[in-house]
Amino acid sequence: MTDVEETLKRIQSHKGVIGTMVVNAEGIPIRTTLDNSTTVQYAGLLHHLTMKAKSTVRDIDPQNDLTFLRIRSKKHEIMVAPDKEYLLIVIQNPCE
Amino acid sequence: MATRAQPGPLSQAGSAGVAAVATVGVASGPGPGRPGPLQDETLGVASVPSQWRAVQGIRGETKSCQTASIATANASAQARNHVDAQVQTEAPVPVSVQPPSQYDIPRLAAFLRRVEAVVIRELNKNWQSHAFDGFEVNWTEQQQMVSCLYTLGYPPAQAQGLHVTSISWNSTGSVVACAYGRLDHGDWSTLKSFVCAWNLDRRDLRPQQPSAVVEVPSAVLCLAFHPTQPSHVAGGLYSGEVLVWDLSRLEDPLLWRTGLTDDTHTDPVSQVLSVATDGKVLLWQGIGAGQLQLTEGFALVMQQLPRSTKLKKHPHGETEVGATAVAFSSFDPRLFILGTEGGFPLKCSLAAGEAALTRMPSSVPLRAPAQFTFSPHGGPIYSVSCSPFHRNLFLSAGTDGHVHLYSMLQAPPLTSLQLSLKYLFAVRWSPVRPLVFAAASGKGDVQLFDLQKSSQKPTVLIKQTQDESPVYCLEFNSQQTQLLAAGDAQGTVKVWQLSTEFTEQGPREAEDLDCLAAEVAT
Repeated sequence: MTDVEETLKRIQSHKGVIGTMVVNAEGIPIRTTLDNSTTVQYAGLLHHLTMKAKSTVRDIDPQNDLTFLRIRSKKHEIMVAPDKEYLLIVIQNPCE
Repeated sequence: MATRAQPGPLSQAGSAGVAAVATVGVASGPGPGRPGPLQDETLGVASVPSQWRAVQGIRGETKSCQTASIATANASAQARNHVDAQVQTEAPVPVSVQPPSQYDIPRLAAFLRRVEAVVIRELNKNWQSHAFDGFEVNWTEQQQMVSCLYTLGYPPAQAQGLHVTSISWNSTGSVVACAYGRLDHGDWSTLKSFVCAWNLDRRDLRPQQPSAVVEVPSAVLCLAFHPTQPSHVAGGLYSGEVLVWDLSRLEDPLLWRTGLTDDTHTDPVSQVLSVATDGKVLLWQGIGAGQLQLTEGFALVMQQLPRSTKLKKHPHGETEVGATAVAFSSFDPRLFILGTEGGFPLKCSLAAGEAALTRMPSSVPLRAPAQFTFSPHGGPIYSVSCSPFHRNLFLSAGTDGHVHLYSMLQAPPLTSLQLSLKYLFAVRWSPVRPLVFAAASGKGDVQLFDLQKSSQKPTVLIKQTQDESPVYCLEFNSQQTQLLAAGDAQGTVKVWQLSTEFTEQGPREAEDLDCLAAEVAT
């Protein structure tokens, strides 16, 4: 338990990070540092997008697989680390 | 004899025949032309018609008549089967986060161990990267100019010379409602006025014919739509009443009404808050059928204003402070800013507990809401607006033609901009760009300020009226963010479409706003 919390705290306290969340394979958030409605929104949308990105990579080359997904927007950058069972989503506000 | 009986020439045949008959009847007379003495003669029959009425008989004539032939035709009709169906949207039910105890902790820990290094590396790279410096993408078609989309007016109200006193957009952003009244009457008036609403999403929008009109017995001074119900609108009248209408009902749209004294301003939160120049701030709640009931009341009394600034006049007795404008904070629903006739904004809270020292009659105990007084303008404040992006900033505009940007943490304003030599009637923050606000002036134009570009002069100046009659109210549309509605003294509402630079947020605006707010003088 403390292992999980410490890791998440390390990520959250990194420079510019706005929020961190862990989502399971069905798109249901398990851990989060943001408020409820935002978390649910991010979890649902990014879960679909990650699945789509993964299938895109696999369709182009079946030997290949998705390792990391980054979305850059006007206001911040969303990073998704996918796995078989979970997704780690980190939202960072990069300094420019 | 026989030779004499021969007929004469043809033209005399008849007479000869008669002569012959006559002589034959005479038989053996001596000659035709000489009747003998005392001889028998037979004359023809002479008859005299009877004059007796019965014999004459009834004269009759035969006539006949006939009606024209009747025209017939065949037609058939059939009743149709009706099926009624209704659709209703429901407010979405929020989904909640699963509690952590249900999940497999060791596997979660293993997962995090695997990805932590990757994520930290990416975060670091991102922090130091210059790859996206100056990179901007344009998704929408750029619109360079500000253009007027619609010019809406209600001819009977314009014929009476009414001004547009207040505008409001509804919660879905498709309906704009305006209130008609006069802002320059100094006394009580029983002039009838109107509240009109136009639905801009309808295809058959006619600019001179509103989709809903409500007649009101007195001039309406301010208007506000319900924040979640798209068809409820509340208005404050010159006579002091607060009325709430439901515009989706075509027959009697009036929902609730109340009686009060003096003119009012309204700003509905979920209940209706009304603010009046007699110094009272009242919170109303609709109950049941038709009555707005006072739930909480506040009174502004001069002595109870916090002495954080030096106010020039020292009050004697319990003078009331009239409030002319109200704005709720977007971050804290119990906090609101009042603009007063004396020119100083007040920070107030709905949760204030101290009782007000006033002798005004009221059904609910009045409390003193003011927590902090800011330094004044040169004249009464007509409009305040709280920033939707920063919890501490608000703007106020008044009759001295200045707009002051205040932070709630200090009394003197952060900056003060002179926008016009005449009065400023309304000021509003933009709902999308943290550094943009719009102001409506008495010279007939709407000024849009972008604090990022220039803090001294307006970025865009929109001329609303041709003859410099004042623009009294303006509102941004929070759903369709490129629309801005402004109402003027000629009774027209113009809906402006803003250029793209006012509708899309730049990358660093929120930070710039924070920097601006942080310039609090120590």
